Amino acid sequence: MLKVKNGDLDKLGLLFERHHRPLFGFMYRMTGQRELSEDLVQNVFYRILKYRHTYRGEGEFRTWMYHLARNVIHDNGRTLKRTIRHEEITEQTEWVSGEMATDAPMQKKQEMALLKRAMENLHPESREVLILSKYQELKYHEIAQILDITEGAVKVRVHRAVNQLKNAYLELAN
Amino acid sequence: MMKCGNDKAMITSWLNNEMTAAERALFEQHLAGCPECSAELEATQRVWMMLEEMPSPAASDNMPVRFQAMLESYKESQQKSGSAWGSLVEKIKTIWTAQPGMQLAFSVTVLIVGVAFGWIISNQGASHKEIASLSSQVKEMKEMMMLSLLENPSASERIRGVSYTSEIKKANSEVIEALLATLNNDPNVNVRLVTLEALMQYATESAVREGLVKSISKQESPLVQSALADAMLKLQEKKSVPSFRELLQQKDLNDAVRNKIRQTITELI
Repeated sequence: MLKVKNGDLDKLGLLFERHHRPLFGFMYRMTGQRELSEDLVQNVFYRILKYRHTYRGEGEFRTWMYHLARNVIHDNGRTLKRTIRHEEITEQTEWVSGEMATDAPMQKKQEMALLKRAMENLHPESREVLILSKYQELKYHEIAQILDITEGAVKVRVHRAVNQLKNAYLELAN
Repeated sequence: MMKCGNDKAMITSWLNNEMTAAERALFEQHLAGCPECSAELEATQRVWMMLEEMPSPAASDNMPVRFQAMLESYKESQQKSGSAWGSLVEKIKTIWTAQPGMQLAFSVTVLIVGVAFGWIISNQGASHKEIASLSSQVKEMKEMMMLSLLENPSASERIRGVSYTSEIKKANSEVIEALLATLNNDPNVNVRLVTLEALMQYATESAVREGLVKSISKQESPLVQSALADAMLKLQEKKSVPSFRELLQQKDLNDAVRNKIRQTITELI
């Protein structure tokens, strides 16, 4: 990223190659809309270019990228609604773990649908922290940097989010 | 069941692998003796594992294509607008290249200024030289004209020739010689008087003064003798005194002139 900052813009291609899939996953889980998520990913990388001079090289590029990603989502506005509704994904080829969708027993499929519903109903703040921690595989100290809060606050927030999700799921299941 | 006072956030931290080795050991020790915590951990873990299994769509293949297009257009726009520090230079460059008329105007202006400057410089030099050569030519012509006029048989023409000397500021030896010869030898008194007047303007030159002193004894006309006396007085030429004394020896000297010369001698001494 420092090379990009110093004018070697082609080096951004490497960063895109490395990060665009996880970032797309983040965007999709945050918004539930596939096309929008792709647009948002583009938007993030555009901002990386535009604001490359603000990158200080402190900490990981990843945390800076997610920081920008959150701003992009925030600016998009409509994605910060209290609840989201994931589009129905019918084409199995679109799934990363596609084979599971076909081979999984009926019960498992139902469970997944419920969990998805539970996630959708989660407070955006809780959902975000869960996604960052669980799917983006970010450590608490990284999440703390991205959200600009203390590591202790991240710990509490993640725990609360997990409990909310668990309760919401159990409520739906029973 | 005993109420557990342990921090429940520890469960999530344990699941998230956000614990130090010491913390983990301590928590696992507690877990073994706390059914409440282990039950909660089990429930949470179940949801946690399910989250992992939850599928996500793959990004479409045209994302890298779109990215490259975005990157290229950004680079282009950067080249056009430039970065913060180079924007001014870029702007000038843009204006410069966008308007060939400006380049042409600049070139033409430089050309005109250069030509005008060169013209002024060369012209100044030329005019100086020309004037110098012209004036020297005029001077030569006047001298020639004067000298030839002095040879003229007509007295009025010779006077005209002598009068040219008023336009010759610095006469050369040839001119002075000619004038002195005229003063001494010209048959016409008026010519000689005009010549004397003409020579007076070169009186600062010693050759002229010497010539005038010598001329005193050669003059026979009372008018010229008297004029020379006035001239010597005016120039305060003491060397003329012996010449005047010599003149006084002449017996046929005009009385009026004799008185004037005596007076001149006393004034000069």
